Amino acid sequence: MIQKIERESAPSRGAFSLSKTFSILPYLPFIIIFSYFFLFPISRLVYVSFLSNDNTFTLSNFETAFKKPYNTGFINSIKIGIYSAGLTVFPGAVIAYFVETRGSSKLRRSLAAMNGVLANTGGVPLAFMFTAALGIQGFLTKALKSAGLDIYAHQFSLATLTGLLVVYLYFQLPLMIIIFSPAISALRREWVEAATNLGANQYQYWIRIGIPLLFPSFIASFLLLFASGFSAYATANALTVGNLPLTPLQIGGLLDGNVSAAQLHLGKALGVVMILISAIAVVPYLWIQRRTSRWSQK
Amino acid sequence: MSNQSLTVKSVSKNFAGVKALDNFNLEVEVGELVALLGPSGCGKTTALRIVAGLEKQDSGAIRVGDTDITSVPAYKRNMGMVFQAYSLFPNLSVEENVAFGLQMRKVDKKVRLKKAHELLDLVGLDSQSKRFPHQLSGGQQQRVALARALAFEPEILLLDEPLSALDAQVRTNLREEIRRLQLSLGTTTLFVTHDQEEAMAISDRVGVMSNGRLEQIDIPDVLYNNPASTFVANFVGTMNHIPAIASGDTVNIFGKQVRIKNSHSGSGEVSALVRPESITVMRSQGAGQAKIVTRSFLGASSQIVCQLPDGAIIQSLMPSQSTGELHPGEEVNLSISLDEVLVTHAKIT
Amino acid sequence: MIRKKIDIPLIIVLTLLGLFILVPMGSAFEYSIRNGLEGGYSFKNYIWAFNQDDFGHYLLRSAWLASLTVLITLLILVPTMTLLHLSNSKFRPLIDGLSLLPLVIPVVAFAVGAQIALPEFVQSTVFELPFLYFILALPYAYRSLDIGLNAIPLKTLTEAARSSGANWRNTVVHVITPAVRSSVMGTVALTFALSLGEYTITVLLHWDTFPTWVTYVAQENLLGAIAISMIALIVPFAVLTSISLFAPDRSMKESK
Repeated sequence: MIQKIERESAPSRGAFSLSKTFSILPYLPFIIIFSYFFLFPISRLVYVSFLSNDNTFTLSNFETAFKKPYNTGFINSIKIGIYSAGLTVFPGAVIAYFVETRGSSKLRRSLAAMNGVLANTGGVPLAFMFTAALGIQGFLTKALKSAGLDIYAHQFSLATLTGLLVVYLYFQLPLMIIIFSPAISALRREWVEAATNLGANQYQYWIRIGIPLLFPSFIASFLLLFASGFSAYATANALTVGNLPLTPLQIGGLLDGNVSAAQLHLGKALGVVMILISAIAVVPYLWIQRRTSRWSQK
Repeated sequence: MSNQSLTVKSVSKNFAGVKALDNFNLEVEVGELVALLGPSGCGKTTALRIVAGLEKQDSGAIRVGDTDITSVPAYKRNMGMVFQAYSLFPNLSVEENVAFGLQMRKVDKKVRLKKAHELLDLVGLDSQSKRFPHQLSGGQQQRVALARALAFEPEILLLDEPLSALDAQVRTNLREEIRRLQLSLGTTTLFVTHDQEEAMAISDRVGVMSNGRLEQIDIPDVLYNNPASTFVANFVGTMNHIPAIASGDTVNIFGKQVRIKNSHSGSGEVSALVRPESITVMRSQGAGQAKIVTRSFLGASSQIVCQLPDGAIIQSLMPSQSTGELHPGEEVNLSISLDEVLVTHAKIT
Repeated sequence: MIRKKIDIPLIIVLTLLGLFILVPMGSAFEYSIRNGLEGGYSFKNYIWAFNQDDFGHYLLRSAWLASLTVLITLLILVPTMTLLHLSNSKFRPLIDGLSLLPLVIPVVAFAVGAQIALPEFVQSTVFELPFLYFILALPYAYRSLDIGLNAIPLKTLTEAARSSGANWRNTVVHVITPAVRSSVMGTVALTFALSLGEYTITVLLHWDTFPTWVTYVAQENLLGAIAISMIALIVPFAVLTSISLFAPDRSMKESK
């Protein structure tokens, strides 16, 4: 058992410390690079989104952003975010539970590696992999056909929202397993045993202790999965070739040439709205993570 | 639910080829506090967990009172258990934690909260009842765990090294509290620890275990003064190993012929086992049997550490008044106040 | 006789997961080794892919950019975090918070921001990419390093070294570096993998790296692109899985 060393130590300035005025010096390189390559671009994005073609303040970019086809884009993106998250959050949790609690250490590590690769493959290899598997001539398509399910008879196409969704599941599920596993491993053996000893059967343990403890992380994971599905660009780009209204694709389209005068700063406004929607999911995610870490503190 | 006796009969348990428990037998009478004492790996925790139902024995039976509970699942056994640490449910408040056992027994909310407060009061934490485990110190958490284990009036109380993760001062106070509670409630208790001081201080009887077997189980006095084996002699309290020559039934220690208590193989070199308080140190005129290495003032007693010419170290514990004239570096003579000793042939370095 | 309990639910779960993962992969692989109109199977798509001059060129380019990203991480992030852990700097919460920001911002939005904000001279060089990749990898790299640094008694080790008379150079070289080595290794692997496969920012800022080249190839030879994608998926998968299967368990896990 880990013994927490509760010591009375004098308030320490640490092994390394500088006088007050210079104390920020060592961190400047990081802060400078971070500000220049991140904070600066984002602030500029927000600033320009409020600019009209004559560089005056305007809300017109945002007005256009909420009209067709851009509002359709948002709706589709939100939809695919919610669906891809909703479909994988529970299976992922179950798999994470089984692997963490009953898997050997080797199993856990190799699965972690596998999930790492799949979750971060980036959309392009994935897109092509599914084109091969589920394309009209794909092996899986043929196999399904012989099992009686002709997916193309129902106007299936990887270039539709449904088709994309199927591909998204492929990286969302491993992502869910990765981000939820720590919550499972935080469930101490002592809690199950104590509950059992106090008279709880499996069901009662889960209802009163297990699920309440996992619930915040479960919700948090859903939020992160949503953000991941909502913001995905590469896969959609590779598969739909711009025919499907999806916010990341629309922004990408507005980034190149072929932008009409009326749309000069539209892309920036779309970007800002995208950030807001993403923030609505990610900020609560971070807050929940912070709070639940307190439980596993002691 | 009243307090019951606990009987463990011929329990054996193997873990991956290692014999964790070897034909283990134990009887704990109603209201008794029995400690299982031993080094890690001796099987004490395994025994406790098998009694609790958290592990399944390979063979043997467990009885509570007259009832055989060998095949009763853990959650149906009426035992309260306190774990080493981290066992409070983090999502429940202190009072909800304590009331949990009653909640599982379908006790009405008002009644169980009232009982929870009663017990929290007994451990002095009623003021913290609305707080959450992560807001309490280690010692406080263990007291809550104790209250939780006792709230539903279990037949048996099981303690799995409840003090091992705590600071020394907290440990001493909490062990007294555990004993006090146990006595006032009359709860039959089985207490597992590796700390011999703890076990000896609060238990009615102590069972010393080694390699899955019970070496000796007796009241602390007997364990200390009449250890049945050299393992018990060494594990309980401090023991000197004095090199001496055995001849037949006796052994010569510092010039005195002392009878040998245990069976041994004939004459020759042995180590005699003597407690520090049985050895007296006196200034010698000129060369002596030993030389003083250190002298430590411990209050009422002082500890004198001496070294024999052959290098062996001897520890003596004497009333401080008698040690005024003794200083490090001086030549001294030693004498032993016992008439019989245990010997061992093992060479202790 | 020790009876080994076979965990049926676990096997079911793993089998389902295995099917989910391997069936599409297997089908795609099957597709990629089809021998076109002649029927049967062959590896001609793979051979074609490897024979492309650009294959090596772009792969090397991506590896080079990924290495630069790792370099930035090693030169900037590691010292910064080590210092944060050594001193009780009041900037720690700030930098903790900053490292999480890129998680909130969708990559596409970040790309637009970068395009309109960064000046010409920055955007004209491909070396802007490692810095951008650095930002993208930051939340994950930071957390990975944070966990690793928390696990070692860094402060105690450093104070012990200093009080034994080591100057800063010796302390860093002989005490700190070995201590943080394994956490840094993990973070390096993470950053490298992420940078290697990064597509969105790269393509939106009109640069060509391995992932973007694959998309381009698809227009000309879909089968070739599929073959390359299979390699891009299966190789890291196989490598990482076998490393973790055969590597000794060096993690300091608490004994329960």
